[in-house]
Amino acid sequence: MEDQILALTAELAAVKSAAQVTNTMFAEAYYYLTIPLMVLIHAGFLLYEMGQTRVKNVLSSGIKNLLAFAFTIVTFYLFGWWFYWALPTFPVTSLAAGAGYMEISGLAYASAIALPWGDSAQYMGPNMADHASGVFWGAFALFAATTASIASGALIERIQTVGWVICAIVLGSFAWVVAAAWGWHADGWLVTQFGFHDFGAAGLVHAVAGFFALGILVNLGPRVGKFNADGTANKISGHNLPLTITGLMLIIVGFFGFLMACIILPGEGWSWYADQGTTIYGTPMTLSALAFNVALAASGGIIGAWVFTKDPFWMMSGCLAGIISVASGLDVYFGSHVIIISLVAGMILKPCADWLESLGIDDAVGAVTVHGTIGLFGVVVLGVFGSGIPGLGAFAPEGTVAISLYGQIVGAVVMFLLGFVPGYVVSWLVHKAGMLRIPESVQIKGLDAVKVPAQAYPESMVSDDSDSK
Amino acid sequence: MGYFAESFAELYNADGWIDMGMYIGAGSSMPGWYTVIASVMLVAILVKGNNDEQDHYK
Repeated sequence: MEDQILALTAELAAVKSAAQVTNTMFAEAYYYLTIPLMVLIHAGFLLYEMGQTRVKNVLSSGIKNLLAFAFTIVTFYLFGWWFYWALPTFPVTSLAAGAGYMEISGLAYASAIALPWGDSAQYMGPNMADHASGVFWGAFALFAATTASIASGALIERIQTVGWVICAIVLGSFAWVVAAAWGWHADGWLVTQFGFHDFGAAGLVHAVAGFFALGILVNLGPRVGKFNADGTANKISGHNLPLTITGLMLIIVGFFGFLMACIILPGEGWSWYADQGTTIYGTPMTLSALAFNVALAASGGIIGAWVFTKDPFWMMSGCLAGIISVASGLDVYFGSHVIIISLVAGMILKPCADWLESLGIDDAVGAVTVHGTIGLFGVVVLGVFGSGIPGLGAFAPEGTVAISLYGQIVGAVVMFLLGFVPGYVVSWLVHKAGMLRIPESVQIKGLDAVKVPAQAYPESMVSDDSDSK
Repeated sequence: MGYFAESFAELYNADGWIDMGMYIGAGSSMPGWYTVIASVMLVAILVKGNNDEQDHYK
């Protein structure tokens, strides 16, 4: 009898060990697969941006987009990942390790896991006992690259390549990372002090990137020919609207991956719970909730934009806006609620873009409005409907922190500032170095003819306003 | 410069793989030097890229 009990005990241990291996490998595969899904966001932004560009500039827009993607990922490896773990409590409390609520942040903590040199290098490369660091880093690196791609489209046809790359590095490996550390981390002071909640990164990715683009646009100025002497705007059509619309749909595909990467899976040493998926804040979340709410939000945004525009460009932009408008609360909204919010987002999109243009801002793809304005709208709307919901998981003492309208407004202001101020400052410095705006003669001639040793369309399609052949 | 272990048997025990970097240069200062070299290359590439770009605009 005793032998049988011992044998059963050993078998049970073996089964538990096998189950843990399965769980670990599943979690690793889950986050790994979000990475190629998020690459689709970049494929989408590439098509979107090139489609919105005139023929004479199309390859230059592609090069700019590709370099932003590449440099953002590389610099996120070199220092961006470290900022995320180092800064959650800064500047409210100490930067020392353990100063945060969950004690998973601070200078020493970040330096132990997120630097590509010294002892922490073991978590920044192959390590057979570590199935989490690489896939988490990869998902965050793609979040970072997404911020750069969001801003990139607004600036087409007149920003210099290297000047833009410098701006993209500041955005993707610093500005949004600070926002994520403060508002997308269980130790982040916006979360612990104000109950800020932004599950799907409407504020800390979209709003930060959108208003970073606005900061650059102020210094960059409009494309040649965009505005008349009396201040009225001319429409500058891209060369391939179908390409743009298809690109936007690819972005939506990628967003399903982006949002599934925002869930913390159960059963691992780094999980909040053994048996339940959560948000990054440790509050309950499931993929089923995402399936309901993302699909409905995308549809609501398309329909809302169609009401007033009947324009497929704005309908697909509305699709993106619909998702962004509910991203902060995808974990707590009911499906029909999502439909209402995303319909409104789709409806207000074009008027907001028109208002921005009336101020003399030439946002070539509507990025400031779609990502910036609607991102902040989504953050604040959650405060209206979600006040009182616990802001941290069951590990936090009851009543410690809750979502509130006040907290969401504070978060929205912080996200605006973390986008606009760095965008304005870095682009001003780049401008002073003569590396921001492409000379007007080159804009008129066409950027591809001047600096790209390839042709987008060998059959010699050219823009009406180009003198390039 | 070589791989840091002679045999995988020494990296595996009854509890599984040990928690350490398993790449060329692990446990030495080489990862840091690779990082320095990569960073210098990136800066140099940006400088050259900008010089080339400014030449195009002349």
